[in-house]
Amino acid sequence: MISCRNLTRRFGDFTAVNALNLEVAAGAICAFLGPNGAGKSTTVKMMTGLLAPTSGEVLVGGLNPAANPLELKRRIGVLPEDLGLFDDLTVEEHLLLTGDIYGVPRHETRARTAQLLHALSLEHGRRTFAAACSHGMRKKTAFAMALLPNPQVLFLDEPFEAIDPVTAKIMRELLQSVARHGVTVFLTSHILSMVERIATQIVMIRKGQMVWNSTVGELPQSLEDHYFDLVETPVVEELEWLGPSRS
Amino acid sequence: MARAVALLRALGTAYRRDWTALQSLAGNNFFLLTVFFLRQAGIFVYLIMGLVMFFPLSTDPLRKIPASRMALWPLARREWWLLRLASPWINPMTWGLVALAAWGAGRSITVGLWALIAALFAAAFLISSLPLPRGGGMFRRVPSFPGSLDQLVRKNVREILSTLDFYCAAILSVSVLAFRIFARDLPQEALMAMTVLVVGALSSYAQCLFGLDGEGGLSRYRLLPVRGWQLLLAKDAAFLAALIPLLIPVAPVAGFGGALAVLAVGHAPSVGHPREQTRWRFTTGAALGNGLVQMIAMAMTISSIFSSSLWFLAPAAGAWAVSIWWYGRELERAMA
Repeated sequence: MISCRNLTRRFGDFTAVNALNLEVAAGAICAFLGPNGAGKSTTVKMMTGLLAPTSGEVLVGGLNPAANPLELKRRIGVLPEDLGLFDDLTVEEHLLLTGDIYGVPRHETRARTAQLLHALSLEHGRRTFAAACSHGMRKKTAFAMALLPNPQVLFLDEPFEAIDPVTAKIMRELLQSVARHGVTVFLTSHILSMVERIATQIVMIRKGQMVWNSTVGELPQSLEDHYFDLVETPVVEELEWLGPSRS
Repeated sequence: MARAVALLRALGTAYRRDWTALQSLAGNNFFLLTVFFLRQAGIFVYLIMGLVMFFPLSTDPLRKIPASRMALWPLARREWWLLRLASPWINPMTWGLVALAAWGAGRSITVGLWALIAALFAAAFLISSLPLPRGGGMFRRVPSFPGSLDQLVRKNVREILSTLDFYCAAILSVSVLAFRIFARDLPQEALMAMTVLVVGALSSYAQCLFGLDGEGGLSRYRLLPVRGWQLLLAKDAAFLAALIPLLIPVAPVAGFGGALAVLAVGHAPSVGHPREQTRWRFTTGAALGNGLVQMIAMAMTISSIFSSSLWFLAPAAGAWAVSIWWYGRELERAMA
């Protein structure tokens, strides 16, 4: 469903993504992991047509984002890094907008909106303008917008960050459910415990280069340990000035 | 005490930056139109602009500190009182009032005017420091529009309602309405001039149609499966929806033609040179040259329709249609 061949993106002298080769099958939940600045968001932007690759190719559902941008956009749902919300629309209006733009019949849009607002505990804030929403509410709104048109592929940039545990569990189950129905999910996340529970495929990237690609079952150790071994080892420094006995 | 002084200093910096947004006026079509063409005859217009700007400028500087942050800071009661008493002096409007009072001492008319201004300032200051209920008020009451672009048009109308340009045009429009109701008939020339002023007041916004969408909004546009012309159509529909009610007291058809001309010329800078705007400020036009072309096209269209024939609406509509098609393609290229 998603295929990258030598996908590369440079910004001047800096190579954000370097010759990425990747295949993600239909119905898979692929977790794309790496530290901040590793190239995750850049990769997602290239896959969703928001950024042109410097070289190489990406195909999503057989479509090249550069050649068929409108057709691709109709088939995918995206939770972008910056959430992509309008300050002047309410939570509910964002979902109605999505239904209208993606050609979902109005009565179906209203039904799906009501279900999504209920499932994601957004009912109480449905009439809140995005500018006045908490970060968690904004993220849930953007997540609901990605799901509403029933896309073939979901791209989710850090979906679980800033989300309360109950909603995170609901989101996890929703994603597992849509994947069982053949929707491909491609997500980035820093919450490794959540990734370990949800993902079927793990891809790790470091300084723009892929360092691991396997199914969850093929991991040689726990995801956290493997991530620390391959991607970055945490170094804890003592902050000598911290503590009530110090000034 | 050092904490309060540090806070006042930071507040002063934040407020100074906020005031630099007022420089936006220098790039505003309407302001330039009145300065260059009306000159001294434009005093009425300057007064309206001053009145429209007065309220956003009379805010309590302490509002810049989020209430939760204020509550968390370890400020002693006397430090809080120092902040409360000193912060109004960060607002240059306070110094302006003091200067006006000193200058007007002994002059009864000026003192009366000063009292009125001071009362308005105090009212705006106090209202701005009250914790107003979150609700969106009139923004929430923006009606639905037909078609799949409904929510985009509503959003765009709300954006226009958060610029001072709209209120300036609204005061001009209401002034004409009041004159026509309570006084004698407005001369035809004056009606045409007022139509030019009402459309002109909103014309700078037409150069910066995407200026209030923010980064999030712009990135959402790139994700939506819509054509560039559809995004521009949603912008233009909102512009016309906000402007048409204001044109009713003046010359609606001629004003509509002028609005189409303003939009046709404004698409180029909106797409080619997008310029971020600040809410509750006048819109800063993208370029002086484009603004001049926009004003000439608008004035010619309005005067032709007003004094000659409705048929002059056709070239304005044609130019608008060509512009939306062409710059829709440009917008798609820019977003690719």
